[in-house]
Amino acid sequence: MLKDITIGQYFPGSSPLHRADPRVKIILTVMYIVGIFMAKNVWSFVFAVVFTAALVIISRIPAKTILRGMKPLIYVIAFTAIINIFWTKGEKPLVEWKFIHIYAEGLQFAALMIVRIIALLAGTGVVLTYTTSPIALTDGLERLLGPLKKIKIPVHEFSMMMTIALRFIPTLIEETDKIMSAQKARGASFDSGSLPQRAKALIPVMIPLFVSAFRRADDLAVAMECRCYRGDVGRTRMTELHMKPLDWILLAAFAAFIAVTVVINIFAPGFSI
Amino acid sequence: MSSIELQNINYIYSAGTPFEKAALTDVSVTFGGGVITGLIGHTGSGKSTLVQLMNGLMKPTSGTVLLDGKDIWAEPKKIRDVRFRVGLCFQYPEYQLFEESVMLDIAYGPKNMGLSDAEVKRRVADAVRFVGLDPSLMQKSPFDLSGGQKRRVAIAGIIAMEPEVLILDEPAAGLDPVGREEIFGGVRAFQRERNSTVIIVSHSMEDMARYSDELVVMDHGRVHMTGRTSEIFRRSGELTKVGLDVPQITRLMNILRNAGAEIPDDIFTVDRAAEELTKLLAERKG
Amino acid sequence: MNNEQKTPYISLRDVCFSYDTESGEKNEVLKNVSLDIYKGEFIAVLGRNGSGKSTLAKLLNMILVPDSGTITIGGHDITSPDMTEDDVYEVRRHIGMVFQNPDNQLVATVVEEDIAFGCENLGVEPSEIRRRVDEALETVNMTAFARHSPHQLSGGQKQRVAIAGIIAMLPDTIIFDESTAMLDPQGRDEVMQTIARLNRDMGITVMHITHNMNEAIMADRVIVIADCGVYLDGTPREVFSSVERLQSVGLDVPQVTDLIYRLKKNGVKGLDDALDPDEAAAQLLPLLAKTIPVKDAALGARKIPVS
Repeated sequence: MLKDITIGQYFPGSSPLHRADPRVKIILTVMYIVGIFMAKNVWSFVFAVVFTAALVIISRIPAKTILRGMKPLIYVIAFTAIINIFWTKGEKPLVEWKFIHIYAEGLQFAALMIVRIIALLAGTGVVLTYTTSPIALTDGLERLLGPLKKIKIPVHEFSMMMTIALRFIPTLIEETDKIMSAQKARGASFDSGSLPQRAKALIPVMIPLFVSAFRRADDLAVAMECRCYRGDVGRTRMTELHMKPLDWILLAAFAAFIAVTVVINIFAPGFSI
Repeated sequence: MSSIELQNINYIYSAGTPFEKAALTDVSVTFGGGVITGLIGHTGSGKSTLVQLMNGLMKPTSGTVLLDGKDIWAEPKKIRDVRFRVGLCFQYPEYQLFEESVMLDIAYGPKNMGLSDAEVKRRVADAVRFVGLDPSLMQKSPFDLSGGQKRRVAIAGIIAMEPEVLILDEPAAGLDPVGREEIFGGVRAFQRERNSTVIIVSHSMEDMARYSDELVVMDHGRVHMTGRTSEIFRRSGELTKVGLDVPQITRLMNILRNAGAEIPDDIFTVDRAAEELTKLLAERKG
Repeated sequence: MNNEQKTPYISLRDVCFSYDTESGEKNEVLKNVSLDIYKGEFIAVLGRNGSGKSTLAKLLNMILVPDSGTITIGGHDITSPDMTEDDVYEVRRHIGMVFQNPDNQLVATVVEEDIAFGCENLGVEPSEIRRRVDEALETVNMTAFARHSPHQLSGGQKQRVAIAGIIAMLPDTIIFDESTAMLDPQGRDEVMQTIARLNRDMGITVMHITHNMNEAIMADRVIVIADCGVYLDGTPREVFSSVERLQSVGLDVPQVTDLIYRLKKNGVKGLDDALDPDEAAAQLLPLLAKTIPVKDAALGARKIPVS
C-alpha cells in the first residue's frame, strides 16, 4: 500500500552515527566532502576509500541498501566517466580512431572520478541521510542556522514548514489513494488513453486533493493557534541538543581525516590530479 | 435483481513483503437481491476490503467474485463495466466532489458510462429526487453547500449510475439525526423502486436495526454470521463477543427476558418495542 | 452541584455572532446568548449540524470574536478592547480545544514532540516540558507510543495524542468540538473514557460537543443549541425528558428514553423516565409482573448485568 512508504532514505538504527547530534552530522558531512575533494593522489584516494568503508561499517547500514540508493545515479556516474575518458589529454594515446583518442591518464582519471562519486554518495549517506530522520535533520538545520535569524532569514518558519510537510505527506498520499479509488468507482480510468486524456482524467483527483489540502491547512492553522503558536516568539524546545563525547570524537576523527589527506597529498609519491 | 456472490475469497495485503497481512480469510458470502444488507464489524475486520473486491477496485489474492453468476475478473479489460453495475460510495464521499456545479458532478459517473445526454439528464434528475436534494441547488458549486447537502450530492453521483448493486460505506457518518434519516430514507426509496441490491457498511447498530433487512457480521477477516437482521439481533451475546455494541433497546429487552418476562424476541427498534410493550401492559386492563 | 452559591468561571452575556455570507448578507448564528459555566462541570452540547455549537466553542478561546455581548473567563472580560496579544494566548492556554478531525491537529511527526508543541510555544523550561509530556502520555495511556509517528496510529489513538497535547499546557477547561464524530465505536470509547477521567480525576472543566446521545448522558449537564441560542439547559434527565421539544428541533433522545415516553403517551401508568436500559428495566419489570408471567419478579428491583 502507498502508506507503507518511508520518506527520504532514513534507515532506523542505533549506531554511533545514528546517535550523533544532527548539527554535528551536518558539519561532519561538510568536512567529509571537503576531505574527499582534497584527495589528490592515488594514496589519498585509497585512504579516503578506507575511511568511507569504515564509516559504512560503523553505521551498520547494509551495503546493499547503499548500492540500491545509488541506482538512480548510475547514468550520472557513467556519463562522468565517459566524459573524462574522452576529454582527458595525456602523453601517448592508447587508442586512436578517427577523432577518438583515449589516453592512460584519461582512464585513470575516470576511475578516480567514479571512486570519488561513489565514496561521496556512500559517505554522505551514512553520515547524514541514512542515519538521520528527516525531522532530526530539519531540527539540526534550524539550530545550526539559528544565528541567521539575526539577519532576518526565516529559519524557524522554514523548518516549521518542513516539519508540517513531513507530517502530512503520508496523510496526503493516503488521501490521493482514496480519491483515486472513489473516482475509479465512478468510471474514471487513469491508465488508458493518450497522454492528454490521462492528464485530463487526473482533474477529478487533483481538485478534491487541493480542496482537502486547503481544508487541512485551515484546520491545522486553527489548531496551532489554539495551542498558542505565535511563530518563534518566546519559544523553547523540549529536546535540547547537547554535545556529547561521541560528537567530539566524531569531529576529531573527521578533522584527522582531512589532515591526513593533506599530509598524504604532500608527501606520498604518485599520480596526482 | 442482481446478486453478488463471493467464493472462498482470500486477500493478503503487501503479499510477499515483510508487511504481509491477511485482510480476508476464506470468505464465502452471497448478497442477495432486493434487500438492504448491513455489513458490520469493528475496524480492521475486513469490511472495507470486502466492498472494494465486490466492484473490482481490488482483485482477490484467491477466490472468485460472481456478479449474477459471472466471474467479474473473467475479462479484466471490462472491469470498468463491473464498477458501473456495482456502485460503491466511499466513506465521507463529499471529499470527492470536484465539478463546477452539482449537476455536472452528479453527471460525472453516467457520462463516463457513455450514455446519451438525454439519458444522463434523466438519471441525474432521478438521483436528485431519491436523495431529496432541492433542484434549485443544481447550478450551484458543490463547494458552497452544507455538509449534509454535499453528502447527498456525492451519493446521488453513485445512484445516477443506476447500479444493480449499490454499496455505501458509512453513508450517515457525522450527520445529525435528521441528516441520517434523509440519507437512509433516500437509500430505502431507491432500493424499493429499483428492487436493487443494497449493501450498507456501518458501525451504528441503531441504524442497522432500523434500516437493514439482513446482516453480515465480519470479524478478523472472516464472515462471523449472516442472517435476517432480526435473527442476528436475537444473538446479541455473540455480537458483543466480537466487539460490537447492541442498541439500547436490544439491551433492555435482554434484561427483561433474563428476568423472566416473556417478550417476543424480534424487538430491536423503538417502534416495535413501544407497540409490543403497550400491548403487554394493557392486557391487565382488558 | 449547587451552582447558585458559586460564581461562574465562564460567563456569556447577550453574545451575538454572525458570519458574512458570500452574497454579503449577515447570517446570524448566535443571538443574545447568555450562559454560565462553572469550574469542574462536564457539559455536553447538542445541536444539529450548523446550529452554532462550534461557533460557541470558538468564541470561548478567542478564535472568533463576538459581534456584541461580553464573555468573561475567571472574572476577566475577554471581549474588552484592552485585551493584549499576551492576554489572548493566556486565554487559549486556559481553554484548550480538541477538534473533530484527528489528522488535522497534529503538527509533529513524532507523538511526544507533538505533545510538547503547546508547551514549547508557551516557553516552558525544557526539563519541565519533558516532565509534562511524560505525564500527559501517561494520562491518555499512550506512553508506549511516545516515539511513534502519528500516521501509524488509529483514529482514537490520534485523538488521545491531541488531548495529551492540550493537557500538557495545563488548561482548566477543555472543549471537545465533535472530537468523537469521526471515530469508530472503539475509538469513541477510548476518547470518552479519557474525557471522563480528565473531568473526574483532574477536575478539568469539560465541554463536549456531540451528536451521540449515549455520550451526552455521561455529562452532568446538557446544553441544547437551537434557534440561534440555548434551547434547553439542564441535567441529562431534565433535558431528555423534553422528548417533544428535542424532536421538534431535529434531535434524538436515547432509545429507552424515547420508549418510556411513548409508553406513557400510550397510556401506560406508573412510569417515570429513563436514560439507560437498567433504569428502564427497573420500572418496566414490576409493571410486567402484574400482567404476564414473570418468573422472578423480585429481579425487577435490582439491576441485572447485561452480557
